[in-house]
Formats: sequence, structure tokens, C-alpha cells
Amino acid sequence: MAEARDLMQRYCDGDAGAFRELYALVAPKLLGYLVKMTRERALADDLLQQTFLKVHRARAAYVRGADPLPWIYSIAHRTFIDETRKHRRAVVRVGEVEELPEVPAGLTGESEDRRDEVRGDPEMMRAALDALAELPAQQREAVVLTKLDGKSVAEAAEIAGTTVGAMKVRAHRGYEALRRLLGKSEARPAGGGS
Amino acid sequence: MSALDDLSKLPPPAPPPISPALEAELAQLRPVATRRPLRQLALLIAVSLVYGAGLIAMLTVRGDMHELPMGWLVSAGLAWLLGFLVPITLATVPRPGSVMPRWQLAGIASVVASIALIGLGLVLHPAGEHSYELGWQGVVRGYGCLANGLETAIVPVVLGTIFLRRTLPIGSRWIAAGLGAGGGSLGGLVLHLHCPVADGLHVGLIHGGVIAIAALLAAALVPRVTEVR
Repeated sequence: MAEARDLMQRYCDGDAGAFRELYALVAPKLLGYLVKMTRERALADDLLQQTFLKVHRARAAYVRGADPLPWIYSIAHRTFIDETRKHRRAVVRVGEVEELPEVPAGLTGESEDRRDEVRGDPEMMRAALDALAELPAQQREAVVLTKLDGKSVAEAAEIAGTTVGAMKVRAHRGYEALRRLLGKSEARPAGGGS
Repeated sequence: MSALDDLSKLPPPAPPPISPALEAELAQLRPVATRRPLRQLALLIAVSLVYGAGLIAMLTVRGDMHELPMGWLVSAGLAWLLGFLVPITLATVPRPGSVMPRWQLAGIASVVASIALIGLGLVLHPAGEHSYELGWQGVVRGYGCLANGLETAIVPVVLGTIFLRRTLPIGSRWIAAGLGAGGGSLGGLVLHLHCPVADGLHVGLIHGGVIAIAALLAAALVPRVTEVR
């Protein structure tokens, strides 16, 4: 992650272009994480903007030479937790086609230009997203970070502010719960919905 | 689970453009002095020790100092000093390559320091000829020591809070507890060199209690300042 380090340092030195490059580098991954956590694209966009605003205001806290990504992810994690506590928003269920919000493609993480590419079974992916939304927030985050975002357990624990052991347990329980939920949905006849 | 594998392979979504609020702040972007944890730690330790030494000079050194076993005096003093240095270091200095301090270890250090130094005070408390004992009365009348100890703790806690202002997205309570325990241990060190009361209850519960109280107070108050907002 030398690039993120370099960009963060240049940004702290007053280079606005470096911030834009950092945003381009980090925002897609962070948005993917937030979309999977919130299941609501508009809210995820909002949290992403809040996260970067907080990063900007706290940039003096950066330690030169350090990897800024876990810190930025932690700020996103904190922002998500604060938002859910503040508003106790109902999770938007998007398991059925007629319920899809304004930017449906974003929910599965597909960018506009690659939406038509065939990759995986869309029904299964939708079922997986629905099952993910059923999990408690901590387990959902553990699964998103370790299984979907490819972070190590140690990185995920650092981001979520927990111990490695607790993160392992959350990921394991979340994965097992997903397996059960997906097992149920796979057992239903095709087109059975959520 | 193949569905999860498929999900993990999806390309990330296209992010929205940078918000107008952030664009406005970027338009006025200036270089910032980034945090230098080791320099801050050195400053924090130096200022706190000078302040502690000043307090001892003001309060006077305990009168029975020359009668006490040197081994106990030094080893207990080192234990208090360690109780100051370890939690403070963990609460302010991240591991190499990381931005955030080691809040889990700082939290553990604050708990261990509180328990260990209360226990040490209760168990090991040699008295000199001019030491005096108070028993439970000493615990009840210990508010003077408690106040002196907490006064000592204020400086490291406030300095640490200033250095960590708006930097912590997670673990801020444990970091604060680490700062409080460190400050409380420095308070315990000052009391160790000032207070001639010799009974274990006073030394353990009052001098040692300064650590626990400082840690709890810091954990309650400091996160309001240190959390990223």
C-alpha cells in the first residue's frame, strides 16, 4: 500500500491533487464496504462523503510512513455505527425487483460500464446479499471485511476495533449463519424470492 | 459458498464525485504538521516528570525516607514509574506502520497497572521510625492524598488528550483509560515520595486507588475530545 502512503503524505503536505488520487484509489473499495453494510446506495454514498470529510479534518493525526487504509476504514466503520445509532434506520430490503432503489447496480458493487458482463449467478448473488442483510451488524461486517473485501482477520479486527479472536468468532458465526440462510434459499424453488 | 465468492469478485462500485463541502475545504488546503508520536511521548513524559518533581518539592519529601529500606523504596518507585510509562506509551504511540495507537494493549495495561499497584500497596508497606499508621481511618481520611494524586494525573492526561485530539475512530475509551492509569501512576509515585503513612490499606487503596479513579475519569471524559468527528 505504498501508493496510499505516498498520496496521504503528499495530501498532508497540501497537495489537493494527491487527495483526489487517494479518493479515486480508496473510495470504490470503501463504498463497496459501506454498500454491503447499509444495503442502501444513497446512504452508503452519504457515509462515504462523511468519512472523507472526517479524514480531511483529522489529517493532522496521520503518522508519516503509516498505512492510512486501516485508519480510513475505521473512520468509515465509526461513521456507519454512529449513523445507525443516530437514526436506527430500517435496513432497506432489496430482495425483490420492485423494491430496488434508485441505483440498483451499485448494490452488488457493479460499476455502470461493467454491468452487462456475465459473472456468477445474479439470483444467487442477490440471495447472498439478502442473507448478508439478515446478519447482526458485527457478523455482517466481519464477513464483508474478511470474505468479500479480502482483508486479513488482523486487519479486519483493527478496522472494527476488536480483538483478532473476537473477529475470528464473528466471521465464523457470520459465515455459518450465511451458509444456513443460503442453504434455505437454495432449497426453495427457482424464483421463490426472499 | 459460491455466491459469496461471486460477490467478492465483483468490481467495486463507482464512487460519487467529491462532495461540495469537501471541495470547498480542498480549495483552501494547506500543509499540516502530522502527528509525531515519539516526539509527543518524549514531551509528555518530560513535562509530566518535571511537574511531578515540582509537586514533590512543593509538598515536601516524606520525613521517614532515610529510615525506609532502600530496596523497597527504589523497587516500589520503579513499579510506579513503570505504571506511568507503559500505559502512556501504549496510549500514544502506534505500532510501526500504523496510524492508531495500541488501544487494546493500553486498556490491558490500565487494568493491570491498577490491580498490580493496588495489590503492591496492600501487601508491601514497610514502615520507618517516623512513619505513622492510620488503618481504616487512613482510608477514610485519604482524600488529601487522593486529591494530590489526581492533581498529578491531570498533566499527563491533558497533554495526551491534546496530542490525540480528534485522531481516534475506535478504542478511544481504552486509550483514555491508558492515559488516566499512566497519570494516576505518576500520582502514585509522587505520593510514594511524599506521604509517610505506612499502613497497607492507605497505600493500597488510596495511593493505588488514584490509578483506578484517574483511569475511570479519563475513560468517561477524554473520548469526547479524542474521537474523530
